Amino acid sequence: MDEDLMDILCCPLDKHELELDVDERDDEEILTGTLTCTECGEVYPIEDGIPNMLPPDMREEAPA
Amino acid sequence: MKDDQQQDTIDDHRQPARLRAVYDDIAAHFSETRAYPWPEVETFLDSVSGGAVGLDLGCGNGRHTELLDTVVKRAVGCDVSRGLLHEAMTKMTENNWEGQLLHGNAATLPLDADTVDVGVYVATLHHLPDKETRVESLRELSRVLSASGRALVSAWSTAHDRFNADADAKTGFETTVDWTLPGGETVPRFYYIYTPTEFERDLEASGLAVDDSFVSSGNCYATVRATANRQ
Repeated sequence: MDEDLMDILCCPLDKHELELDVDERDDEEILTGTLTCTECGEVYPIEDGIPNMLPPDMREEAPA
Repeated sequence: MKDDQQQDTIDDHRQPARLRAVYDDIAAHFSETRAYPWPEVETFLDSVSGGAVGLDLGCGNGRHTELLDTVVKRAVGCDVSRGLLHEAMTKMTENNWEGQLLHGNAATLPLDADTVDVGVYVATLHHLPDKETRVESLRELSRVLSASGRALVSAWSTAHDRFNADADAKTGFETTVDWTLPGGETVPRFYYIYTPTEFERDLEASGLAVDDSFVSSGNCYATVRATANRQ
């Protein structure tokens, strides 16, 4: 994800702002890291450049 | 054989985690069969004046996100299936377009209010598990649309040839529709098949303003705006 996506991203649950922590980047592109809600503290992982913004109850692996 | 595979009830199939797993499983084959944008989406995107942000909700392999990228500064594709998002990422590199991909749920959007100028929400609403979630998802679309923003929404309709349904009925029905993989294996997917009347009613219940609605190729369509008088 591009860092400027932070302008419009929010917590899917309470819609509050997110704090970005970058673990790995390639120029402007963030490959891995986390987004943490400044209100509820929920942590959303960024994996393979794609933030996982699913609410926690949808994040678990599903039965195939 | 088919009966053995389909012992699961409709309540098993409606689970969002189940639907996500199904699309993760079929992502590669599904994506192969989704090469071209729908003409209804092309017509809609021709009619909008562009903007800063476009949202393709239920973007799948990104075939419409790519088109959206030609009319807005920043195209965002959101899908519940990571498998499909990886297909979209591959296509982005192959076809040389730029979009932002989000792994998200259509009923709890991770986007600020009033940010989306152009929305495409096609062939996705019908996969959501129940009426409450479907209306909530439309309410979320209304929340993120900017004051001048417009969106195209579609869902499979009872008017489709494959269903022996009364298109004038008040409500639609739940069903599963098989996806057939190249080896012949079938994978059932949960659908809520809308009647055109109920489709409009759910749009209105969500607070979206409907500019136009029509049935095309067996799908209910509507072009919508966020309501002007929202809080």
